[in-house]
Amino acid sequence: MQNIAERYTGASVKRSEDPRILTGTGCYVDDVRLPGMLHAAFVRSPSAHARITGVDVTEARKLPGVIAVLTGEELDALTVRGPGAAGMFSAGLPMPSFSVLATDKVRLVGDPVVLVVAESRYLAEDACELVVVDYEELPAVITQEQALDPAGPPIFEDLGSNVLVRSPVATFGDVEGAFARADRVVRAELRQHRHQNVPMECRGVVCSFDLGSGELTVYSATQGVHIARTGFATQLDMPLEKVRVLAGDIGGSFGLKLGAAREDIACAAASRRLGRPIRWIEDRSENLTASGQARDESFEVEAAISNEGHILGLRVKMIIDTGAYPGLGGMLPEAVKGMIPGPYKIGALSFESTAVITNKASYVAYRGPWASETWVRERMIDLIAKELAMEPLEVRLRNVVTRGEPPLQMLTGRSLVGVTSRESLDRIAALVDVEAFRRRQAEARAQGRYLGLGLATYIEAAPGPRTPGGGGGIMGPEQMRLRLEEDGTVTVFTSQMPHGQSHQTTLAQIAADEFGVPFDQVRVVVGDTDVVPMGFGTGGSRSATMAGGVSLHGARALRAKVFEVAAHLFEASPEDMDLAAGAVSVRGVPARAVPLGEIARAAHEPGRVPRDLEGDLEVTAEYDGGEGGWAGGTHAAIVEVDVETGQVRIERYLVAEDCGVLINPAIVEGQVRGGVAQGIGAVLLERSAYDPDSGQYLSSTFMDYLIPTACEIPRIEIEHLETVPLDADVNFRGVGEGGMIIAPPTLCNAIEDALSPMGVRVTEQHLPPCRILELIGAIALDP
Amino acid sequence: MKPPPFDYSAPTTLDEALALLLEHGEDARPLAGGQSLVPLLSFRLARPSHLVDLAGISELGSIVVDDGHLVIGAMVRERAAERHDDVRLLAPLLAQALPLIGHPAIRSRGTIGGSLAHADPAAELPAVALLLDAELVAQSRDRGKRTIKAADFFSGFFTTALQPDEILTEVRIRRPALRTGSAIEEVARRHGDFAMVGAAAMVRLEDGKIADARVALTGVSDIPVRATEAEAILEGAEPTDEAFATAAEEAAKSLSPPADLHGSSSYRRHLATVLMRRTFKLAAQRAKEAA
Ligand SMILES: Cc1cc2nc3c(=O)[nH]c(=O)nc-3n(C[C@H](O)[C@H](O)[C@H](O)COP(=O)(O)OP(=O)(O)OC[C@H]3O[C@@H](n4cnc5c(N)ncnc54)[C@H](O)[C@@H]3O)c2cc1C
Repeated sequence: MQNIAERYTGASVKRSEDPRILTGTGCYVDDVRLPGMLHAAFVRSPSAHARITGVDVTEARKLPGVIAVLTGEELDALTVRGPGAAGMFSAGLPMPSFSVLATDKVRLVGDPVVLVVAESRYLAEDACELVVVDYEELPAVITQEQALDPAGPPIFEDLGSNVLVRSPVATFGDVEGAFARADRVVRAELRQHRHQNVPMECRGVVCSFDLGSGELTVYSATQGVHIARTGFATQLDMPLEKVRVLAGDIGGSFGLKLGAAREDIACAAASRRLGRPIRWIEDRSENLTASGQARDESFEVEAAISNEGHILGLRVKMIIDTGAYPGLGGMLPEAVKGMIPGPYKIGALSFESTAVITNKASYVAYRGPWASETWVRERMIDLIAKELAMEPLEVRLRNVVTRGEPPLQMLTGRSLVGVTSRESLDRIAALVDVEAFRRRQAEARAQGRYLGLGLATYIEAAPGPRTPGGGGGIMGPEQMRLRLEEDGTVTVFTSQMPHGQSHQTTLAQIAADEFGVPFDQVRVVVGDTDVVPMGFGTGGSRSATMAGGVSLHGARALRAKVFEVAAHLFEASPEDMDLAAGAVSVRGVPARAVPLGEIARAAHEPGRVPRDLEGDLEVTAEYDGGEGGWAGGTHAAIVEVDVETGQVRIERYLVAEDCGVLINPAIVEGQVRGGVAQGIGAVLLERSAYDPDSGQYLSSTFMDYLIPTACEIPRIEIEHLETVPLDADVNFRGVGEGGMIIAPPTLCNAIEDALSPMGVRVTEQHLPPCRILELIGAIALDP
Repeated sequence: MKPPPFDYSAPTTLDEALALLLEHGEDARPLAGGQSLVPLLSFRLARPSHLVDLAGISELGSIVVDDGHLVIGAMVRERAAERHDDVRLLAPLLAQALPLIGHPAIRSRGTIGGSLAHADPAAELPAVALLLDAELVAQSRDRGKRTIKAADFFSGFFTTALQPDEILTEVRIRRPALRTGSAIEEVARRHGDFAMVGAAAMVRLEDGKIADARVALTGVSDIPVRATEAEAILEGAEPTDEAFATAAEEAAKSLSPPADLHGSSSYRRHLATVLMRRTFKLAAQRAKEAA
């Protein structure tokens, strides 16, 4: 190993992805061109809920340049029904049967009904206009109230109602006792609005079925090639071995691009039927309308508190709107339940939840999928502080756990080892100087200016502490193959599918350090089911620990194997081998060093090394997450609200985050900033809005669905804490989701604080300027 | 999001362009900077079968000063106008308004004529034209030139007095009188977005009193509107904060702005009040400084 000062790990090494991406020479799925390739477009439902009574594709089939028009019924015959990608997270939950395209009914605006395949996307869209679909309108189920109404029309007849899961009350600790002992009870109904991922690159596939070999090759924008492959194989009823999924550069996803989407399956089935490659690149209106949306939960919360600000107990009722084709949304309340105590010493908890189906886009994972647990908790803490006229920071400090002191476990079971919320709160308190801010706030108010300070803290299982009997990693252990090449470079094959996380840089940094070669001599190969090891792919803030860890251990194993081979060449012992400047030598005899490439060649040449070492100089490593651990941090925002226009200006935004050992500070900061930007967007700009009567989707363009641009995001001051090493080697923790989890409560808390002279109580997450003026009473609610 | 098929011509003279419009009638559409028309095509909300690109017609691309008037060719890019000294000198309100349109990349393509002809009620330039009593010159192959006052030009949501065979060729703006100040302010969800509401005001002072006050609003109706009640209240008044507030509040009473996702009707009315007050004040201050 090199000495610490020369290590790549911990340095802001420039991203190896950047030259190609920044010069426009990356290769995205949209750049894939295959001979004879055709273009797909979908006829989509204009209604939220309707029965399909007729589909006439005659005119569309006649349009010159149109190769095929496949109805939902026709595609149903070519594919296997099932929840597909949506079912990935919903094992054990009731799951309606659904077809790849809509057959009997349409269940949301944008539901795909007919697939058109043509010589160009333009022609395909022209033909879509010629398809005539007859609908018999049904009442749209849009709000939670409508979904809970037993008299409402069931969206899936086979489920009988629009309630997907009703989970009974679960209790932890003595809830009744806590409420009986409480000095006060703080109640709130909290609403988390629906918003969505909006990656810069929409979804897309190029599907190519080879009639000769019977093999399907799919180029996809996906977070994991193996999971996508399983999806294609299952719904096309093909052996896994006959499906190959490849992915190149990906322009973001945030949880959206997991598995094979319904549109992807339709294109693959059409390619198999036609024997020609078919490309579907989702456009922005399809993406905004039908790709999937997230959040959309409501909570009734009661907090039993003491006059000193201790949280004795919580009662939580959650309703989640899973949208039309249920998937992740059904299991999400379980995750919220588990995490809702967070890093606090909450005495008792009762939790119950209901998941409902509505005529809206399906609930998908979005950066920190169960972030509502943090939003609800951090909002409640500020409401408690308000009730007690205490400083919100103080309420947090009184309740937050201290490392090494009881409780050592969350009320809901998870170990709290290594949680550093208190440290990050202390750090933020020092950076902000709360007392000085309160003085400035009072002076500003005297001049009619409204400043507010908000802070909030979170922890995320990234990957989570080691559980008894298992590693720290959710979604299983992580594998990696590493190979020494004949030119002396190291190739790393990972199942990670980076889509903005920079794994081609970070995994190389770690492997370079551990193996002992320069950074630019490690190549990270991703995105091909034929060559990368099995694995989930990238998601859940797990790759820093899981892939970082396997890169470290794998490089160590490869180095040992190289030394073993070299030892044979030198007729010495592996323990005496030394690696320096790209060559291996017997320690103390550097003059006789053998270049790494030569060692790889020796292994390839028969007879130079024992049979069991012959062949590729390659290792397969597996890592279970080691001791794992929590990532977390505290954010603070200082805002000014213009109470005449309702506009919010963020004067200062501060982050104290702890993701353990930093692999690459610049990349960590990029992840934090991106997350914070999405959190700011959620509160001030982004909402997936539906008309509550017709179910029409109202946010289907970028004039309606507003994402933050560089102009809306303030400078973000970031402090890194690297508090607790738990593992001998691997103390990297995930950081991808944190910013998005914690920025919304931070900002909501700051806005409420700014408006406290008007008695405003913020119980919703989305606070556009119009809403702010409604809350302060400057304008009336429109009828 | 791909447009339906269309034919495309790129004439190099106004005559040619006018002939094409006449020939194709209602099916043809002039294409200027494309910043509004191209999205409409991609959403298939506009379906002209023939696009007549005006970009190659050099006679539409100049800014000249003529008899105390600033004359801006329809195809002058918004960004070019914004950077032009004569615009700053002779039409300061226009110069203040232009940077509020979108982002520089959009203004480098978008044109003065395109924005006026498109007549988005949320757009800045129609309101500015209205406030400045601009004259819009239209030309057709059959009927030649005519001049339309801004007050007669905007007839409804995205509709103007232009006939399908007409091209807007230039806009003429009279230089402001002495001791006149102007200001424009707006509230948009994001930097560069179409504003929810905007107010442009002009105040002329004489002997310390308001001799002429004007205000035009965007986003409160299907066309840009002058708030004449406010103007009447202010005429002859002292330029005080109270006077501006009263005028703004009175004028806002008669507004019933449209609601959308970004803001309710009440919100827009409220914004109109706030922005009228703010812009009157700023315009009066500038008028004083100009004296
Ligand atoms: C992201 C974005 C943000 C924007 N923000 C704003 C904003 O904040 N404020 C604002 O005011 N605008 C905004 N715009 C609009 C833009 O700046 C232009 O003002 C507008 O698009 C019209 O100009 P154009 O030259 O692009 O016209 P085009 O799009 O080419 O044409 C628009 C319409 O006018 C007709 N037309 C054009 N020129 C003539 C002519 N000479 N004679 C007759 N008819 C003609 C066309 O046929 C078409 O119907 C924005 C645009 C975008 C894309």
